[in-house]
Amino acid sequence: MGFHFVKRDNCPLWKRCLFYLIAVVAALGIGALVLLSIGVDPFEYYYQMFTMGTVNNRIAYKTFMNYFKELVPLVLTSVALSLAFKMRFWNIGGEGQFIVGAISAAFVAFKLGPVMPMWLTLVVMCLAAMIVAGLYGLLAGFLKVRFGTNETLMTLMLNYIALYILFFIGETKADWNFFLSENSARPVFKSFTDLASFTSIPMGEKFELNICVVLTVVIGALIFVYLRHTKQGYEISVVGDSMGTAKYAGMKVNWIILRTVFLSAALIGLAAAFKVGTAGVLSTSITNDVGWTGIIVAWLAQLNTVMIFVVSMLICVLQHGSTVAAATFGQVDSSFANMLQGIILFLVLAADFFIRFRIVIVKKGGSNNG
Amino acid sequence: MEQQYAIEMRDITKTFGSVVANNKVNLQVRQGEILALLGENGCGKTTLMNMLSGIYKPDSGSIFVDGEEVSINSPEDSKRLGIGMVHQHFKLVDVFSAADNIWMGKEQSGFVLNNKRYSDIEDIAHKFGFDIDPRKKVYNMAVSEKQTLEIIKVLYYGAKTIILDEPTAVLTVQEIEKLFNVLRRMKEEGHSIIIITHKLNEVLEISDRVAILRKGEYITTVNTAETNEQELTEWMVGRKIDLNIDRPVVEKTRPLLEVRDLTIKNDEGAIAIDNVNFYIRGGEILGVAGIAGCGQKELCEAIVGLRPIVSGQMIHKGDNIVGLPPKTILEKGISMSFIPEDRLGMGLAPSMSITDNMLLKCYRDSFGPFVDRKAGREAAQQVIENLEVVTPSTETPVRRLSGGNVQKVLLGREIKAGPNVIITAYPVRGLDINSSYAIYNILNEQKLGGVGILFVGEDLDVMMALCDKILVLCHGKVMGVVHAHKTSKEELGLMMTGALDLNGKYEDKPVGIARDTLFGENNGEEE
Repeated sequence: MGFHFVKRDNCPLWKRCLFYLIAVVAALGIGALVLLSIGVDPFEYYYQMFTMGTVNNRIAYKTFMNYFKELVPLVLTSVALSLAFKMRFWNIGGEGQFIVGAISAAFVAFKLGPVMPMWLTLVVMCLAAMIVAGLYGLLAGFLKVRFGTNETLMTLMLNYIALYILFFIGETKADWNFFLSENSARPVFKSFTDLASFTSIPMGEKFELNICVVLTVVIGALIFVYLRHTKQGYEISVVGDSMGTAKYAGMKVNWIILRTVFLSAALIGLAAAFKVGTAGVLSTSITNDVGWTGIIVAWLAQLNTVMIFVVSMLICVLQHGSTVAAATFGQVDSSFANMLQGIILFLVLAADFFIRFRIVIVKKGGSNNG
Repeated sequence: MEQQYAIEMRDITKTFGSVVANNKVNLQVRQGEILALLGENGCGKTTLMNMLSGIYKPDSGSIFVDGEEVSINSPEDSKRLGIGMVHQHFKLVDVFSAADNIWMGKEQSGFVLNNKRYSDIEDIAHKFGFDIDPRKKVYNMAVSEKQTLEIIKVLYYGAKTIILDEPTAVLTVQEIEKLFNVLRRMKEEGHSIIIITHKLNEVLEISDRVAILRKGEYITTVNTAETNEQELTEWMVGRKIDLNIDRPVVEKTRPLLEVRDLTIKNDEGAIAIDNVNFYIRGGEILGVAGIAGCGQKELCEAIVGLRPIVSGQMIHKGDNIVGLPPKTILEKGISMSFIPEDRLGMGLAPSMSITDNMLLKCYRDSFGPFVDRKAGREAAQQVIENLEVVTPSTETPVRRLSGGNVQKVLLGREIKAGPNVIITAYPVRGLDINSSYAIYNILNEQKLGGVGILFVGEDLDVMMALCDKILVLCHGKVMGVVHAHKTSKEELGLMMTGALDLNGKYEDKPVGIARDTLFGENNGEEE
């Protein structure tokens, strides 16, 4: 008895969905085992997690509003990363680009907020964040194009530079540091909610939909069209598929790389501006790890823009739900969601393998050889 | 008593997804014989051999070595059973010496590298009449040397049966002769040899018996002495086929593309093309012959503007094209299709659909920011119909098509653009007889339409039949331009190796410079 793998030609859609479903269910099953081992009823926990505690809750609308606050940066970052990934430019620098974008947005809010109307401040915040983050991403792109450096390493290291700049700003109490609150002896970030804050559209009695959610959906749709139907999107696909072919077709490959990397990083900067403009304050954990989670989302969605929305929503349910559930189940930390996320990614990739290959059992092994 | 075979494969079946690569194939190799394995592309020859060498496992069927049933699960098993395979793409470590390449795969070689390994290799080389320096690094070796090294390697590991996958594709006529002598010597020593090749004349020359596969099915095995080219082709293709390549005579025009004193460097900065002169007229096919890697790729790239040149001039219809961007050269009607060894590297985006690949060179032409997929789909449909491309739909990724169809898609797109100069390198690389002839016909049609064609090829028989003139390169230098119907394979072979240089043979007319040149007409101040 033995078995070996045989390549599949085409896997029907329902089968593919089934495999992914099995992967997710299996991941939840493994999570359930972990929960059982620490004495928590997995059904009860998952119920709390997936409903995000909204059932029979009078302030459920608040949960949803918070949920959207987390969702917007994640979706936008994932969409942005998918642009670069489509070109096989491995932008691992989402975190860093997000941070420089956030700092730039806050800078604009503090400096221009007092002298400009709020809507203009917000627009300038978005533009500043996009340009600075875009340039930050462009740095890695330029080094790759000019000197052939590895963009994965470059963007990765630029993350830490940005992160420690943020730490430096957040922990240095000095006269020049207008990011910090003057009223506190300890270094604490100053709030600028009164200077710049995105408005919400009231819907129903209490629920308000933040304008950023609408903008994100619009941007998502634009990027979808951009990748699928425009000449620039076509160029990205060709460069990603075969750089030699792109050159052969007379494309200016270097220019396309730089353009796309800038766009990708700029969108991440926009995500940061949305985040900062909604939160109204900087923080050393402002990114909420979207630069990393976005990579997972982009891959799980197989770089499909529509799927990125779906996957982001699910991942956000996990993350937000686990925070809510942590209130009921003290012994389960909210980082349980991260673990679950990891297992899901792992198993979905495994499911991918079974979509491409199937196992065939070989009945007769034949006699052994010397 | 039943004769005992060195290797016998019975009812071997192997599938990849829905593709049946081998269906109940039988193969017997006698001790001390040379068996040629013949078949069109994608008929499962290499798959079958890969099952002997332990790379694939058969879905069903059994393999016998010296009469005993075995199961081959890995290349190690295969090595232990005395089966060695020389792959089409060499599996050597470039920075190692010849001896080290052999040493590293040896079992129980221990931790210490001692000098005995050099003499060991030398001994075995002498025994079979190989000529090799065991200390030479692989990156310094010519293709034929690398191949010799691969053969020595399998012999050193004690292979009784040696499989050669298209060994002659990369060799010159003289080198092929040398290889065949070695094979005959090995046969005398009692080795069994399986040789895969497309070339019928070689099959008839070297083999004792021929086994034929067609579309994954085993057809028959015949004694070489009792058959001929026509019969073998019919078995291979499954019907009668005309083996003659046409060379229509066309009214030639004045030179379309002229190249003077062209010098180009390769990626490593060494001179790849050295002071080359040639010209192409409309309605003629100029062949470029040469050993693999002697500047063909660099030449093609330079003409279409993908590679900067060191010095020299390139004139298209009297206009200078040196230094122009690839896009402008494209618009002038110079098309290039280069089929690299991996067949997909240049000219096609493998993961994208046929439609998208059709758009590659003209996607900018549509109005506005959007790509006109509708036009692409129509173009794809036309190419599929005109060139009989086998594909499920226009939206199938090119990667999923078989080699012949991939090449048709590429050539189809190039022709559709209506070029006046076609640069085509290895357009039939790895194609079977049927597809190859389809490609020759396409080229001839273009020639009849007044297009000038530069045909970089590897099969001298084909080039002599198809081309009007043949330019021979050796290490980037032109050894001469000869009329295809007046030359011989031997002459070309000698020129390819640099033993014969026709430069300066005709004093009145330097090689590769047209009398009725358009050179300098529009830029008279230069001459």
